[in-house]
Amino acid sequence: MKRKLSMLLCLVLGIGLLGGCSGKADNPNKLTAWVWNVNVPVLEAAEKRYQEDHPEFDLEIVEMGTSDVYQKLTTGLLAGGQGLPDIVLVEDDRIQGYIDSFPDAFLNLSKHGFDEKKESMFPEFKRDLVSKDGDMYAFPFDAGPTGVFYRKDIFDKAGVNAEDMKTWADFIEAGKTIKEKTGKDMIGLDLNGDDGLYRMMLNQQGTFYFDENEKPNLTSPESVKAMKVHKQLKEADLVKNTVGWDAWISSMVQGDVATAPSGAWLAGSITQQGKDSAGKWGVIPLPAFEEGANRASNLGGSNYTIMKSSENAEMAYDFLEYFSTDEQTQIEAMNGGLFPSLTTIYDEDVFTNGVDFFGGQAVWKTLADQMTDIPSVNYTGDFPYAKDEAVKAQSQAMGGKLTIEEAFKAAQKRLKNRML
Amino acid sequence: MSRSRLFPYWFLAPALVLFLIFTVYPVAASFILSFQKFEAGSYAFNGLNNYIRLFNDEIFWTALKNTFIIFVFQVPIMLLLAIVLAGALNSQLLKLKGFFRVSFFLPAVTSLVAYSILFSIMLQEEGIINNALSYLGIAAVPWLSDGFWAKASIILAMTWRWTGYNMVIFLAALQNIPEEIYEAASLDGAGKIRQFFHITIPQLKPVILFAGTLSTIGTLQLFDEPFNLTKGGPADSTMTLGLYIYQNGFEYFQFGYASAIAYVVVVLVAILTFIQFKVAGDR
Repeated sequence: MKRKLSMLLCLVLGIGLLGGCSGKADNPNKLTAWVWNVNVPVLEAAEKRYQEDHPEFDLEIVEMGTSDVYQKLTTGLLAGGQGLPDIVLVEDDRIQGYIDSFPDAFLNLSKHGFDEKKESMFPEFKRDLVSKDGDMYAFPFDAGPTGVFYRKDIFDKAGVNAEDMKTWADFIEAGKTIKEKTGKDMIGLDLNGDDGLYRMMLNQQGTFYFDENEKPNLTSPESVKAMKVHKQLKEADLVKNTVGWDAWISSMVQGDVATAPSGAWLAGSITQQGKDSAGKWGVIPLPAFEEGANRASNLGGSNYTIMKSSENAEMAYDFLEYFSTDEQTQIEAMNGGLFPSLTTIYDEDVFTNGVDFFGGQAVWKTLADQMTDIPSVNYTGDFPYAKDEAVKAQSQAMGGKLTIEEAFKAAQKRLKNRML
Repeated sequence: MSRSRLFPYWFLAPALVLFLIFTVYPVAASFILSFQKFEAGSYAFNGLNNYIRLFNDEIFWTALKNTFIIFVFQVPIMLLLAIVLAGALNSQLLKLKGFFRVSFFLPAVTSLVAYSILFSIMLQEEGIINNALSYLGIAAVPWLSDGFWAKASIILAMTWRWTGYNMVIFLAALQNIPEEIYEAASLDGAGKIRQFFHITIPQLKPVILFAGTLSTIGTLQLFDEPFNLTKGGPADSTMTLGLYIYQNGFEYFQFGYASAIAYVVVVLVAILTFIQFKVAGDR
């Protein structure tokens, strides 16, 4: 009866209008994957190489915008797995939310034999991110070890040595000198729209929006300390207001700001969009809060999941296991600016060689060195709320309407209500 | 029923089926959804909890307040402007009427996203509007980064977009007012202004009610402008009910909670429309 009804529906709505009505694909060895932009060529290349040993293998790559992937994924999951592909790419900050809300939707990789040996190929923080109750639910792919990307030409002009910026206090002092000597701002921030720098600073101090018990932690001393650095930067007039991604990128490649603390993936964007500025760039690890304290942090990254509803889950597992541990595939990912989290390749030439765009500095090495020191922190399924409230608190504290402590206290209260 | 009596129903069937699937079903389903919560992979009945949470939700109250501030300022300004423009365009003295009509109506046919992006570019801190102001010796206005100005920007953008649309409605109505009434009035010695307030406005009353109701519903569902211009910021100062529904539904995937907010909006629209009909529509 149900089948008849759905056929009738297809007829009424016009066949072909909704792809979901068409029958199962002709090729039983075909997998479908949903990914976004720079991941497409990586997956394509891996498919070709995998086909050498598995000639019958066929992968259909569907390219979508990042937010479209999540919308379609969530809608499909809410509809009990209808219309979902076999493979979906999910970012670090979303993955916990999906595993939490849909515990039965994703293939349990540990149960499928993603064994201890393989687990040791990825850094701890990345494994924690894709795990729930000790089992892994996604293949770690790219990561975002952080660093301060800076313009050598501006630093040279101001006579400041970037390597000397060991603490955030040094960073602010350097910024003051640069502003005085060159008139350039130290950093571009979208204080009303994003809190990337704040998140890096939390992660760096081994804490996050949530504490180890998944309780909101916005009022923590580390959180206040991080926001104080923002305030000092703002009050010293070192911040350029860059609203949105385009403004932020262009302020850097045009040389309007001297630095951009960010994840490794920024290298890809500035290389592509700032071709004229080749050779003028350098990267140092994030400054620490105290001399000698941890400098490693992570911002961004993504992971491959397999839908439990997939009819070809075994095949998808086999392919993705190959994909995530094959060194050549992971090295190719770097061409698109993605930073692989597969630790076994960090001593390859691509990492240890100097990069022309960065004036011969071995930036990948600098970034890879961070990976083992990145603290594991709790993202939880409530990440999107927490981020929203943190951005509001930042906006209020920076606008001077509330003190930092007041803003975080109010945000914490709102966040608790939203987690009910 | 005989074959021939059934015949018209067959013609109705496609429309009816579509109506049932795409109108009745979602309305009913989202009402049921508003009492449910998604937990551990499936929906569970949640009683009135979504609504209780709503009443304790500061963001909801902020959104409600913002929506009303925008409503109270934007709708009257826009309707008044639309009537004045329509009156001017209806005048016998004006040349190039077609050109003006098209020009004023044009914003209503542009894509919502395109116009929002255009406004956000113009309203940037170093955008064209602030540049123009600096020539006049006025300091740069933080259009999108200050709570007060962000609301003003939204009102500005909405007025730009919807005034022409309402103007066309008024213009059509104006053309239905018989010229004789005006002639009679001017013979009795009534000036243009008096004619406007004692003939035009009363004659337009049902249309004003219509445009007012449409604008009320439109404002309560306001979404595109805050979504594209400010994302509800800074710090929720341009958060609207429509945007909050979207965020809860499609960014946080709390469809149950989003449905609860949506039903509060439905009730508000019903109440406001009822008041408007009571106040204005005494027929």
